[in-house]
Amino acid sequence: MSIEYSITYNAENEYENPVDNASWQFLIVPENNETQELMSVDIKNSLGAKNEFSENGYGFRTIRINTQEKFQNLNFRANFKLKKISLNPFGQVPIFNIASNYELVQSLDFKVDFEPFLGQTQFTTLPKGSKNLFVFDTALSIFDNLQKLNNWVYQFIKFNTGVTHVNTLLEEILENPEGVCQDFAHLFCALARANKIPARYVSGYLHQGNGYFGDSQMHAWVEAYVPQVGWVGFDPTNNLLVDDNHIKVAHGKDFNDCSPLKGVVHSHGANKTSHSVDVQTQQ
Amino acid sequence: MKENRRMNSEVNKTIFSSYNKNAQLFDEVFDSNGVAKNVYQKLLELYGNHSIQDYVQLNNKAKASFFNQGITFQVYDNKVTQEKIFPFDLFPRIIDEDEWEIIEKGAIQRSKALNLFLWDIYHDKKIIKDGIVPLDLITSSANYLHQMIGVDPPGGIYNHISGTDIIKHSDGNYYVLEDNIRCPSGVSYVICNRTALKRALFGVFNHYKTHSVTNYAENLLEILESVKPKGVDVPNCVVLTPGMYNSAFYEHSYLAKAMGVELVEGRDLFVENDFVYMKTIRGPIKVDVIYRRVDDLYMDPLVFKPESALGVPGLFAAYRKGNVCLANAPGTGVADDKAIYTYMPQIIKYYLDETPILNNVHTYHCSRPDELKYVLEHIHELVIKPVDEAGGYGISIGNRLTKDEIKVVQDEIKENPRKYIAQPIMSLSVHPTYIEDTESFEQRHVDLRTFTLLGHEKKFVLKGGLSRVALKRGNLIVNSSQGGGSKDTWVLKK
Repeated sequence: MSIEYSITYNAENEYENPVDNASWQFLIVPENNETQELMSVDIKNSLGAKNEFSENGYGFRTIRINTQEKFQNLNFRANFKLKKISLNPFGQVPIFNIASNYELVQSLDFKVDFEPFLGQTQFTTLPKGSKNLFVFDTALSIFDNLQKLNNWVYQFIKFNTGVTHVNTLLEEILENPEGVCQDFAHLFCALARANKIPARYVSGYLHQGNGYFGDSQMHAWVEAYVPQVGWVGFDPTNNLLVDDNHIKVAHGKDFNDCSPLKGVVHSHGANKTSHSVDVQTQQ
Repeated sequence: MKENRRMNSEVNKTIFSSYNKNAQLFDEVFDSNGVAKNVYQKLLELYGNHSIQDYVQLNNKAKASFFNQGITFQVYDNKVTQEKIFPFDLFPRIIDEDEWEIIEKGAIQRSKALNLFLWDIYHDKKIIKDGIVPLDLITSSANYLHQMIGVDPPGGIYNHISGTDIIKHSDGNYYVLEDNIRCPSGVSYVICNRTALKRALFGVFNHYKTHSVTNYAENLLEILESVKPKGVDVPNCVVLTPGMYNSAFYEHSYLAKAMGVELVEGRDLFVENDFVYMKTIRGPIKVDVIYRRVDDLYMDPLVFKPESALGVPGLFAAYRKGNVCLANAPGTGVADDKAIYTYMPQIIKYYLDETPILNNVHTYHCSRPDELKYVLEHIHELVIKPVDEAGGYGISIGNRLTKDEIKVVQDEIKENPRKYIAQPIMSLSVHPTYIEDTESFEQRHVDLRTFTLLGHEKKFVLKGGLSRVALKRGNLIVNSSQGGGSKDTWVLKK
């Protein structure tokens, strides 16, 4: 079974003073993986500058624009047509060997192999004394604990836009537990890692047709490593396992690795940026 | 032999008449009986033809020559940045061929081992899985770049240029103090020192068969060309500098000129379709190998620090694709960490199955509880170093500290043990050095920075190096940023 999506990403940048030259990097192209297949890409920018495909620091596809001529406004629009394949992440749910799975995550080889997704980063650092906010019950499987964690984060943070921003740290979230998908994902990552389970931050698009929480921008969720299965997607903002409404773009250690737009702009004065995302199913 | 002794005593009356020899220190020129060592006898005889007044004059001329050539560096202080000339001493240091062979072999051994270590750290991490180097040491290093995991640098080389800091201890053996592989500086001074010394004292220089140092640039260019990206025939190499305000700008411009390649800043380059180009008045020219003197995190604002104005947007993507080579490779600094240094004997054994040719200084890791305890109790007899600072900043020498200062250092270590290592206070050898204030020669501590180049199936050690002198009496820190000077260093031919 598969669904076809049409995804539109739109960015408007307006500068008070003319910009001499600028470089932008968009990390917005859905990746190809076993559950999704990118069928077409259509990109336009109002400056007529070349849209170059490249890679970010971790090999995820990016679009880069370099401008040479002076401008004050940039409109960037990308449309992706994508086929999403429904796939039960488990095929058949395995019988977890609980004891040996916990032994595995304690082994040196495991810690070395998954080191990038086990460490603390700027956005996944838990303030002192909060490491035990969510402690795994080793009588249950790692997967069951992760589902409980998913629910715990969902209950803990109240979804509210406008309270947090892209640079919000967990310290602030723990003090005032309100935020958006990015904050849910960071807290999940931090607590999974505190329990020695590799977790990576995922950036992508959410089809909101079913009334899920997200925002009119890109969505964020988490992939955690479940022994005997592999990486499994959790969406703590909606207390869900990732399904065919989630369209993945990239993953990283935290938001810093997945920022949809990075730019170097040689200008001064104020600027205004707005993005919007639209995800439609196509029959 | 009698002849020589008589000669020496005459010498001592003139230039070295007021040379005070401290028996506690290891003097490289005079033995414990005050007799000059063989390699220095001719030199002292020749210097004996000059009076101290001649020497004062020569010294002033040499200084003026450095200033006129613009060979300056900048010192960062809390408040001000100052431009200074690097004090140069006209009494050279001589290393005979047998001693040099040890240094050269040892430096190559370390460079090769570090390169294999870096490849391993950014690929399979076998040395960690085998329990030799702790995982924490890598992941807690500010210079470890996740972006480099699985990336194959062109030619398989990470540390194209290594600067190994070596001292001669009072036991007469050489010890490595640190391996600088984040694009170490100082080689331009080696070459300028030689030029200045030859100009001032050609009659002296001429009596020794000394290896040339001016072949560094051609070897550097060959090394850079050896790591050209796949499919490139004749690579276009450039030197990328942060700009004229960088403390080593003189060196960047010198090396570019000596290699006959362009000196560029980030704004002179751009990336298109993952290839790097240089802007010229005749249009863009593709760049294949970049000897970059810009730090990792400033290289590409789209991947690392977004506020960096020194870098080139898209440069790292071009590197990942293998379309351009960066020397040294990004992320190399993870091995240029004073905590990793302490594992060098094990690293050499692990990858090369050899014993280290050059000694390591015994090191205590403050991250290990038992060693931390020892360090806290013995600060007065140790040197405390932050693991990730370069240029001699942040070093505390235990026996120079007051009680209050010791307390401050103890608190700092307790606050962040991973940040510090400690080593016994090594007694650096001393070398007769002309001191302007007293217009005479005095014993001053000296170290040696060697320059080792590693390329694809090519290696080179500069026969010579930067002998750095601590000009303040009794000072052990020789870095130029800490008020050190330097000496021409002669490696004798067989």
